[in-house]
Amino acid sequence: MSNNSLLFSINNEGKVYALSTNGSCWREFMYLGLEFKTLSAVPHFLWAVGGDRQIYLHVHGLEIPIRVKEESYENERWLPLEGFSSRLLPTDRYHFSSQDGTKDRSIDGIRLPSMAWQWEGDWQLELTLDGQPLDHDGWCYAVDFPAQFGPTKQWKSCVRRRKWIRYRKFSAMNSWCAIAPLHKDPTQEPFIDVSIGGNQIPYAAPGTLSVWAITAQGRVMYRSNVSATSPEGLKWINVSIPPNCDIKQISVGPTGLVWALLWSGRAIVRKGVTKDCPTGEAWLEVKSPEETKLTVVSVGYNVVWAVSSDTRVWFRKGVDGNACGSSELAAMGSGWLNINGNMMHISVGINDQVFAIGGSNKSIYWRNGITPKELSGKRWRMVQANMQVSRTSSAASIVSSASNQKHLSLNLLNETVPELKSNINLRNSWEESHSAPIENTLPLKPSKELKQKTSANIENIDLTGKSYETTLKNPRAWSPVRSVGSVVGMEAQPDSDSSVFDIDSGMFFDEEVSQTAWGTCDTAWSFVEAGACSVDSVQPPHWFSDSQNSHNTDITAKWRLQILDELKLRSNYNIDLTKFGIAIEEKGWTRSCEARLVNTNNICEECIVSLYWHSSENTGTLSVFQSDGTIKFIFNLGEVTSVTTSSEPGSPRISLTIPTQSSQVLKIQFISEMEQEEWLNVLVDITTQIHGLSGRPSISSVWAVTNTGDVLNWDPAPAQLTAEKDAGCYTKEIQVFGKDIQKGYTTTLHNNFPPGSILNVTGCLNDDINRFHINLQGPEIQKQRHRIENEVTEIPFHFNMRFDEGVVVCNTKISGLWGSEERYQLPISPGQEFSIKFLCDTVGFTVTVNDKHFCTFKHRLSPENITSAHVLGSLKLFSMEYSSTSVIIGPDEMFWKMIGGYLRKVETCANTVIWGISHDHRAWVYTGGWGGGSLKGLGSNDGIHAMLDTQTYCVYENQRWNPLSGYTSTGLPTDRYMWSDITGKHKRTREHTKLLNRHWHWISEWMIDYSTPGGVDSDGWQYATDFPAPYHGKKIFTDCVRRRRWYRKAQIHTEGPWIRAGSTALLDFSLWSNDKEVSVWAVTLGGDVIYKTGVTAMTPAGTHWEHVNSPQPLVSISICNNIIWVVGRKGELYYREEVTKENPGGSNWKLIEAPKSNISSGYKSGVGAKLVSLTSNSAWILLTNGSLAVRTDISRLQPGGKHWKYLTDCDTTYKHVSCKDQEVWVVRSDGSLHRRLGLTTDNVLGVAWQPILNIPLVYVSVRGAS
Amino acid sequence: MANDREVLREIWDGKLPVCFQLDQEEIMEIQQPDPFYVMVPRLSYFPLVIDKMKRHFLRFISQENADNEMWLDYNGQPLKWHYPIGFLYDLYCGSDPQTPWILTVHFSKFPENILLHCPNKDIVEAHYMSTVKEADVLKHRGQVMSTMQKKDHNQLWLGLQNDKFDQFWAINRRLMESHGESEGFKNIPIRIYSEDGTYIQRLINPKNSDGSRKVVQQLISELYPENPVKLRTHGINIPLDTPLQWLSEHMSYPDNFLHVCIC
Repeated sequence: MSNNSLLFSINNEGKVYALSTNGSCWREFMYLGLEFKTLSAVPHFLWAVGGDRQIYLHVHGLEIPIRVKEESYENERWLPLEGFSSRLLPTDRYHFSSQDGTKDRSIDGIRLPSMAWQWEGDWQLELTLDGQPLDHDGWCYAVDFPAQFGPTKQWKSCVRRRKWIRYRKFSAMNSWCAIAPLHKDPTQEPFIDVSIGGNQIPYAAPGTLSVWAITAQGRVMYRSNVSATSPEGLKWINVSIPPNCDIKQISVGPTGLVWALLWSGRAIVRKGVTKDCPTGEAWLEVKSPEETKLTVVSVGYNVVWAVSSDTRVWFRKGVDGNACGSSELAAMGSGWLNINGNMMHISVGINDQVFAIGGSNKSIYWRNGITPKELSGKRWRMVQANMQVSRTSSAASIVSSASNQKHLSLNLLNETVPELKSNINLRNSWEESHSAPIENTLPLKPSKELKQKTSANIENIDLTGKSYETTLKNPRAWSPVRSVGSVVGMEAQPDSDSSVFDIDSGMFFDEEVSQTAWGTCDTAWSFVEAGACSVDSVQPPHWFSDSQNSHNTDITAKWRLQILDELKLRSNYNIDLTKFGIAIEEKGWTRSCEARLVNTNNICEECIVSLYWHSSENTGTLSVFQSDGTIKFIFNLGEVTSVTTSSEPGSPRISLTIPTQSSQVLKIQFISEMEQEEWLNVLVDITTQIHGLSGRPSISSVWAVTNTGDVLNWDPAPAQLTAEKDAGCYTKEIQVFGKDIQKGYTTTLHNNFPPGSILNVTGCLNDDINRFHINLQGPEIQKQRHRIENEVTEIPFHFNMRFDEGVVVCNTKISGLWGSEERYQLPISPGQEFSIKFLCDTVGFTVTVNDKHFCTFKHRLSPENITSAHVLGSLKLFSMEYSSTSVIIGPDEMFWKMIGGYLRKVETCANTVIWGISHDHRAWVYTGGWGGGSLKGLGSNDGIHAMLDTQTYCVYENQRWNPLSGYTSTGLPTDRYMWSDITGKHKRTREHTKLLNRHWHWISEWMIDYSTPGGVDSDGWQYATDFPAPYHGKKIFTDCVRRRRWYRKAQIHTEGPWIRAGSTALLDFSLWSNDKEVSVWAVTLGGDVIYKTGVTAMTPAGTHWEHVNSPQPLVSISICNNIIWVVGRKGELYYREEVTKENPGGSNWKLIEAPKSNISSGYKSGVGAKLVSLTSNSAWILLTNGSLAVRTDISRLQPGGKHWKYLTDCDTTYKHVSCKDQEVWVVRSDGSLHRRLGLTTDNVLGVAWQPILNIPLVYVSVRGAS
Repeated sequence: MANDREVLREIWDGKLPVCFQLDQEEIMEIQQPDPFYVMVPRLSYFPLVIDKMKRHFLRFISQENADNEMWLDYNGQPLKWHYPIGFLYDLYCGSDPQTPWILTVHFSKFPENILLHCPNKDIVEAHYMSTVKEADVLKHRGQVMSTMQKKDHNQLWLGLQNDKFDQFWAINRRLMESHGESEGFKNIPIRIYSEDGTYIQRLINPKNSDGSRKVVQQLISELYPENPVKLRTHGINIPLDTPLQWLSEHMSYPDNFLHVCIC
């Protein structure tokens, strides 16, 4: 379910169909009056040979457009008389040049590569340099050309330059796009086959693709420069073939490996295909199996499959995709293996999954059981998916004319209104693309015939899916214009249309309509292409009638309901059961095991853990015994506030937080992973039951993510429900029993002390009492004087009874200085019992002693500053009651429920919509369920889906140069480890890199990273003068050390209550909801801004992404009430202007004045922003140095805010911040979770941090808080 | 995989009101003992639920019989303790429901030729575990049971003994998973009982030869081509279109067998 990918096929009529792995129905590609002969696909890119023997390209399913930034630097030199001018010295660079000055980049000379591209706006100046704003002409200055440019003109600045940028966009998305023929006359050398692959060439830059084709004259052509950002590539390059070879078919694997078949049935292999030499070096011949003639060959990552003319299937063993560029054997494999089954066509997809077309019945089969260990699989399973009624048959329009908007385009071509729409679209696109010569003729079908067909169709209602000829009325739209990249026809609008790119239904589909829109029929397939199809062999798509998926329908089956009804009826005995006892006494159960207790220094101690659980009493205890049997801890499970995993490779661990215990965090290491998972399951289950949590968490929940990827949720709603409200007040009794008041007792007042709050203290004075005081005070602040000491500098109310002086003194301490005292007579004497009540109102405090009004004290400091109560004196406290107008929930009462799933970020909003991002940057949407993975079986299975995530492990290989032997791995004694992490402080070797648990597995070998920031040489090395210094890719004379990065990818298979929301990789995102509509804005991996339309509680994944131009690649985004802030990669901040409900995309970006760093670092260079979280009137910014800055006075009228303020009460650094209204929560660098106390509309900075949870977290979202 | 918790829970919670009466011949006191009323879980075994009842009747019987093994009968039919209680009820009262189910308690004249001896609960456990193993051999060639640890076996038994659904199913779900690509058991552990208590046990594949799921109707026509019968288990008639695989996963007794009565 997780990954939507497409299987393509061509039926015997030449029409292209696609089957989504999330769906179960074949959908037809819009018919363009052109049959197709062959297809070849990688995700998002489909190449085909049309019936006219020309090559076509179809780019689809990309949620953000392909945009390419063209840059040109305008250079000027200062001349004594003229000042800066475009006259340069002869030795200088071009007037308009590339960044390094070597290439002429004259703005007029930069053209669109083909008709498929459009400019997005005009040339613009870049007005920032490394996040610093430049003057409005965008010039930056330097002494001479190859030098450091700065933003300001200085006396020695002799040259200046500015950067022009312009974006171009690939506009032929979701439509067929013709690739230029080889010759002016396209019939001169038509094509017979095309193949795309190379998307996983070892070490190649991401986005690299490789396309090969065969012409009718048997020439092999390689398309140069094809990549994800240049889908059409540049030109055809002829690759020579051995003499006497007549090639008929070609296949390129994901690793770039090329196999070709000759008409004689023999196969040849291209050797030496690497990232640097994508066309390879030479051809090698491979013997055909058993003298048969091969007819089809398909190359995968580690496999090659072929079909011979006698319909036998052959598996080539010994192919190794990672080594095929360097080893002939790895490219050729070692031998053929006959696989059972008779097939006429075969295609290898992602992960070496294999699809084939049956020789006799022309059905499509999938090879079941293919795993990396067993590449040849187990057996063939027939793909049985329904057919969409042909778009071109009128049956579709009859169905859809009465149905919803979603199906509009089914009748796109037959009904007037949608047709108009399509015309407009097409016309627009032609205008925008400054169209090439348009031929109004139909080379394939004269329009007269077309008209007849249209009328004929209305009578012919055909549910079999057998298609009719095209009914296009607008021949202009799809004339194959013979120029490069011309748009041949528009695919119907993917957003308004149930096109192939939708999941069958989305989440909420009109069943009735869907039933009628599909017909089952046996289509005879002629071609299948799986190159873009990613099938999970463990959880195959719903394509097979014999799949386990059929069990899901059991839930609603009649027999099942009958069984259930009858089972329920059994308990109607019609007799009085009161005298019947219970046969089996309700008993609790215990579970224990040997484990290890891990202390904070990572030292283990043998112990026995024992759990007792009594379900009917809803109580349980966890005991930890030392190995000699003595009790180490024993506590009620109700005291546990979180249960999380804290495993390290080879050490399966669980952490429990128990704020009431002295140790607070209990880390237990289990003997095996299985045992750890069982315990986790049981502990989460029991603690959740104890807290009475069931069902979907409320929208006001706080969500957090631990560093082990666990998703936690604290839901205040149950506590709010159960809290007793009495006369508009929530009261909490503070446990004071046994507390030593003589040394002072402080308790946190979780809700501060705003007007309406009450503190009620009862106790008994000792006979020897001299003085006592009760302070309503602010936080302790660390002061550096002679030694570090903590001091409370703000005490809004100091209530001091001085029996030695015979007075009561009330006072306020502001910034460490006492104000003027207010004195009263003593109301009580030593030895007496007392009750004192402090009531806070808008004016001041009212003190009542022993139920008599005693005094009032006017506020001198805002009572919002009060975060705790402090009592000191020779007395005993009986009770202390704290009342507040809102529910009082202390951190020890916050139970963090593990929700399930494996994620990196989770964001909420004031709606039920919750999104997450996994480590591989994929977006997920919360389904409302609970469980999955090691929490399997806890909740119902509703909403639990398979989850996949990928992480990359890196190690650095470091070397030092020495005069004799050059670079070697022997460093200086003071050097870092020769194999280390990025800091060099920790030893990391490839061999010792272990996976976290059994759900992870490697999906690659260790590979050299050629895209390490800073640049690398051809072996992946980057050089520096010494460790740690800036690294660069080219070796220069002064370099003494070098390093290179190795990486290896690992994947986790798990489950959780999350479902994939599209395939766009996201870096950051933000949600906001005011009413039903939810705004979801995100930053893609490439730094683009996109927002999702149509997100509601019912459709949490929304419909599609809209793209918003961004000035710079961005890293973070936050939205609040149509105010949007983003953070650029260089730390600059922008806000979006004029975002309204009607214009959700806003108009343009405005730079915000940069915050200053409050931690003085030696560097002059400014500290940029890293992350932003917006509230309705302020923005909390996490800076790159880990400190926090707050922008105040943000409003609709002033979305950029007014002032910067900085937190000064705390020296720690932070990892993440999330805020909404009066709630600000942070994750500190050590992973602990804190919330800010004392925030008011006037004091947006708040007063103090309150620790909430002390386990290593990485992310928190409080944006659902209400 | 058995994932229909609603059905599983309903079956687990099935209880029978039982009225135990001491056999008149056993009563040695003048005072008649009160009948003993109790709700027993259908899935349990009699030796697991009769401790209290035994204590209740002990003082009314002759002391020389007090150490004898107790046994039960219904309508003169001795009840085999090694069958689940619910099944015994379906067998004898399936067509003619009786509430409460009135059983007679004996302390003497043990019907040696009909009943097995059951000196203690360990025997029940041993019998239970061997039945589970037999079922696993049929389902997975015994591979699941053999990979389980002793504590898992123990938990299975304790879950049943203590009437703890979660405790039991935490382990049992592993036994109810199907392995490999076949997405079904090798064979369905099923015993079909005639009214006289004799049963047939055949190798029943959960799938038809064409790969589709076999349903109860097809099983019946295979086994009883002449006279179509109805099948009853857990107090209900099984709908004819119920797939056997589902039935086995969800409606097996804790011993992993489907105990089905012809009616």
